[in-house]
Amino acid sequence: MATQTGQSASGTGNKWIKPLIPLAIIVVVSVVLLYVGGLINVMTSGEGSAALPLSSWLFSIVAGAVVIYGLYVGFADRPIWQVGTREVVYMAIGAALYGVLSWLTNFIQLPSISLVSLRPAAVIPVFFGIAFGPVVGFFSGFVGNVLGDALTGWGVYPLWDVGNGLMGMVPGLMLGFRNRERALNTLTYVVAGVAGLAAVLMLLNWNYTVSDFAGNEFAVGPLVWIPILAGVLVVGARYLFAKNIDTAAAVVWGALGVIVGMGFAAFGGIIQNGTSPGAAFFGEFVPAAGSNLLAVAILLPILLSAWTSAQARSGR
Amino acid sequence: MLVSWKYKDRDTLYQSLDPRARLIFVLVLMLALMQVWDLRLILLFTAAALAQWLSSGLTFRETRTFWLIMLGFATALSLLTLLTGNGGWGTFVDTHIIWQGPWRWMTLSSERLAFAVAQFTRIVTLALFFAPIPYTIHPARYGVTFKGLGVGDKFAVATDLAFRFVPNLAHDFQTTMDAQKARGYELERAGGALKALRNLAPLLVPVTIGSILKGEDVIDAMDLRAFGTGPRTWYHRLVYRLRDYLLIGAAVVTFVLVSVLNLGLATFGDLWVPEVLVRLAS
Repeated sequence: MATQTGQSASGTGNKWIKPLIPLAIIVVVSVVLLYVGGLINVMTSGEGSAALPLSSWLFSIVAGAVVIYGLYVGFADRPIWQVGTREVVYMAIGAALYGVLSWLTNFIQLPSISLVSLRPAAVIPVFFGIAFGPVVGFFSGFVGNVLGDALTGWGVYPLWDVGNGLMGMVPGLMLGFRNRERALNTLTYVVAGVAGLAAVLMLLNWNYTVSDFAGNEFAVGPLVWIPILAGVLVVGARYLFAKNIDTAAAVVWGALGVIVGMGFAAFGGIIQNGTSPGAAFFGEFVPAAGSNLLAVAILLPILLSAWTSAQARSGR
Repeated sequence: MLVSWKYKDRDTLYQSLDPRARLIFVLVLMLALMQVWDLRLILLFTAAALAQWLSSGLTFRETRTFWLIMLGFATALSLLTLLTGNGGWGTFVDTHIIWQGPWRWMTLSSERLAFAVAQFTRIVTLALFFAPIPYTIHPARYGVTFKGLGVGDKFAVATDLAFRFVPNLAHDFQTTMDAQKARGYELERAGGALKALRNLAPLLVPVTIGSILKGEDVIDAMDLRAFGTGPRTWYHRLVYRLRDYLLIGAAVVTFVLVSVLNLGLATFGDLWVPEVLVRLAS
């Protein structure tokens, strides 16, 4: 315990300075690249000014850096982000378990276009996130996916590794709330509020059109059923599990983790691999998130219940 | 149940390079490659990835699973994108229509075909860049490699521990399965996906909870050795040599060059549609 206390004290002292150097490097490199790019643009086209592309981007770069710095300073010393010996060992166990269990189940392939498999082991990073915090959850998912793919001989896919990490990290954020009921209620209100606001805006702007990636324009009004359905599902799930708040909170936050993590990996493919949104959604997101959601909904309550009993028995 | 890592000690130029240099090389080149859709430029990256692959001394036989999975993935992804709409963040607009189906999205154009080929090549190249890593980095070197890349001691140790735990957990899994089978458990019991998932609980729960409880001993042992109170030393030492600096330098120069040209030239890296495909439309 003395170890952890000492580390957190020193970590707190550095939190204002620690992120400045990497952020400064990113800002300087971005500005230099933009400036040189602007110069080449002027030399080749012979018109405009080199300052134009730089000044139009500079605000975005600095604003992004300020936001990241603010988030780091605001959240870096929260207890849920601290890593001691216990977390190091649980990170390793979570990653190894996820790797081994993924390897065993990677052979059960679901129909999809990507390396998506029926992976009951998806419950492992979610469980480790909920039980031991977001850092342990992220590490279990990220390194566990690398291990599973390495054991199977599939290669390394950074986008899916990060996606699996997020799948473990997001549920761990619920430990930042005072209790699980509060975590569940906050998430329910946020989702219901955002869905409600989106639905109202879409109804008020029924004929407002947006362009898809192909340049085709479509009205947003007819899509109003999407936020309404999402809101109804989340609020319904909240009250369906009203008798067991702990399980409900874990399953709802776990589901959010699966959606965010698999969404990141699937839709990140639009940038990395140039997939169409349709291919990313139906070919990658639906099979990956669908099977993982099933695994979380069925296996997470069983694991949590067993862990609660084991904790009571071991006295830890 | 035996866990076997894909790593093998090979006397090759690639394996003589520092693992940190190899990781930086592929990550930086990935960022450069992600900026281009011009097939001619992508093929230059493919050549670099193939050169890396050949220098790693890997055979098709030992990497068969990777090739099958990766080629299937790239083919399916390219075909589905070709059939469902434009990919690549507005990289192109269907200008030269070869065939138009009953719905608007059912369009086959010269641009879509060119994009499908470029997309396939880019996905294969990206996968090829990363493929040699698990085959050529010793499982016991990941911790020190990540430490050398600037990752904190705790995360580096956790990575090292994770690799060490894998054989133990696979053994625990086998023992648990044998014990459950002796009690009449059948993993392959008939039923739908939901039942199949529920059937896994008697295996998943004891292995997970058992490993967490056993981890307490490791935590105690590490705490008793004052883990985390100061900087750690590592048994293996990684030292950059000239060839490692050259490899990193080549990747960084490529990235800077591609980024600057991409920002400076309006059409650099854009989708290239060969004349032969344009003629198909006319």
